[in-house]
Amino acid sequence: MLERYAPLFMPKTVAVVGASSKGNALPNVFIRRIREYGFAGEIYPIHPTAPTIDGLTAYPSLAATPKPVDYAYIAVSGAQIPDMLKVAAGRVRYAQVVSSGFGEVDEGKDLQQRLLEAARAGGMRLLGPNCLGIYTPRGRITFTEISPTEVGTVGVISQSGGLGTDIIRRGLSRGVKFSGLVTVGNCADVTPSDLLEFYLADDQTKVIGFYIETAKDGRHLFEMLRAAKAKKPVVILKGGRTGQGLAAAASHTGSLAGDDRAWIALSRQTGCVLVDTLDQFIDTLLIFQTLTPQPQHPTTRVVLFGNGGGTSVLATDCFARLGLDVAPFAQPALDALAALKLPPGTSITNPVDCPVSTLQQENGSVAEKILDEIYSKGKPEALVMHLNMSAFAGRTPPEVIENVLKAALRVQTHYPGQAHFLLVLRSDGDPELEARKRTFRDSALALGIPVYDEMSNAGQALAALQAHERFLHTRGG
Amino acid sequence: MTGVELIAAARAQSRAALDELAGKQLLAGFGVKVPRSVIVSNAGAAATAVAGLTPPLAVKVMSPDILHKSDAGGVKIGLQSAHEVGQAINAMAILPAIKAARIDGYLIEEMAPAGQEIVVGSVRDPDFGPLIMVGLGGIFVEVLADVAFRICPITRLDAEEMLAELKGAALLKGARGRKPVSRDAIVDVLLKIGGDDGLLMRHVDDFTEADINPLIVSETGAVAVDARFILA
Repeated sequence: MLERYAPLFMPKTVAVVGASSKGNALPNVFIRRIREYGFAGEIYPIHPTAPTIDGLTAYPSLAATPKPVDYAYIAVSGAQIPDMLKVAAGRVRYAQVVSSGFGEVDEGKDLQQRLLEAARAGGMRLLGPNCLGIYTPRGRITFTEISPTEVGTVGVISQSGGLGTDIIRRGLSRGVKFSGLVTVGNCADVTPSDLLEFYLADDQTKVIGFYIETAKDGRHLFEMLRAAKAKKPVVILKGGRTGQGLAAAASHTGSLAGDDRAWIALSRQTGCVLVDTLDQFIDTLLIFQTLTPQPQHPTTRVVLFGNGGGTSVLATDCFARLGLDVAPFAQPALDALAALKLPPGTSITNPVDCPVSTLQQENGSVAEKILDEIYSKGKPEALVMHLNMSAFAGRTPPEVIENVLKAALRVQTHYPGQAHFLLVLRSDGDPELEARKRTFRDSALALGIPVYDEMSNAGQALAALQAHERFLHTRGG
Repeated sequence: MTGVELIAAARAQSRAALDELAGKQLLAGFGVKVPRSVIVSNAGAAATAVAGLTPPLAVKVMSPDILHKSDAGGVKIGLQSAHEVGQAINAMAILPAIKAARIDGYLIEEMAPAGQEIVVGSVRDPDFGPLIMVGLGGIFVEVLADVAFRICPITRLDAEEMLAELKGAALLKGARGRKPVSRDAIVDVLLKIGGDDGLLMRHVDDFTEADINPLIVSETGAVAVDARFILA
């Protein structure tokens, strides 16, 4: 099965249809991008007359290339594409059609059908039409300008090309690393569930993300997800979750069944995590990328540790609403923390609120003592450390935050696998702070620690992890 | 008649839905308990027809033209004798909404013992196929939309989680001095309707929507008191 998808994710030969000899059309940009991105295979520009395109030998048709084509990128007017595929029968594995004017408009439905028939008759898989393409770091193919080269573990399927670009770019800045991202356009042939099948089997992919507007083969998707029993976390960002068709409902049940209901049911029955916004999508992918689910003891008890009294209170409320328990410590932990004789203004009950004046003790390494007591006596299943960087600025030497972070990391190594550790770095948009935050974020991510901008982001992601762990706990394996 | 025959008969008459009796026969074929009943064409026939039934009885008008029987005055409950049943039918027959409609007959049923009203329903989703729904009856479903949906087929665990998901779930345990009702009986009905070999999976293409409203659940069992299946 993986073999069938290899020409898509790791093509050796790429044909590009629609590049102009003047070198400024979208397919020319595609050629330039994949060369810059390090694509090492052969590129065959297809052009009826031009001998070369962008310095590469051009061929008059998809049938005339020196070797069969693993991946054809096609961006010419739609009407000519079915015939173009017909002449190349048996010579193309994946045909990705960028062009629009197919099934997404009424007058293009017939054309889409002819396109599909030509692809099927020629033994090709069709990606799209109306589809931007694929970002596959292991194959060095990409459709976006900014394409990280690192091969990550998050596999994404997007029914929107534009949003696919957003997911890559925002994912990059937040630390999400992709094993692939496929935009599927109209899904005339290759559907989200086909790609789900690949990602579920692909060893490189640890986490799967979907942006879906309409499930083209919802039944199949449901059955695959159910059979998978959440062996890999699946995060679904569903567009168009408003009710429709309710006016026509002829029964109570019909009037109560919005579009949303089926997706909520799907998430309950298959363990998928349903999210509402692009930010939540990225946040949730990040937690699954970085932390290992603990189905044996699903996350419930959470300890919050950091600076900011109001922030701690608001976060406690937020976490409680999400079903996470920020309960005060029992006596042994309270006694141990009290014995540290932290300065006045420090609250040690959970949430543990340490003002900057506390955290700067011993130049920041006091955090190690506090966290050590929390881990050994408080027994959290997750610890969220939050630092309001604005409150440190100008009051402490620059290395204090760094020392607090280092102290926290040392404690992790003393209690391996005991608790999920999340870091929230709060800033106020000040350029200098943002730059420092980026440095901290990168070094934390390099150590496998997810970093969030605000407590609510961390809370939502942790709740998603909890839901996944609970599903595995009751239904896994 | 089998389910397939009941559906074929309704289609042959160009009906949009199974009538109540056919709906209940379909349910009974899948092992869902329904009230014992007879159908009569007029009050005169009621006297002998009810001989085998145990009061209290209910009478419901059967008509393809009447969607909401209660609103049309076509439901009478708590009848204690053949005489009362006959009177009820005569009174219904002269109501304007009933007089104007095509009447298939009058359904006379034994009444289910008191219990918690539950709604079990289904709607066919264009992407996912049949969904099954459960909710508590009355205002819980009509006003608060306190219902849980699942994609069919469901497992026993799915059915149990559906009940746990209801905001009014505590009522099933006997909140506010009421008797607890049998969760197992509800789960059992959900599986007979939405399970692997249940009604909805066996009739995937036959219905767009369905309501069992109410399913009356006592401490020991569940009875489908009304049923509505909209044909695809």
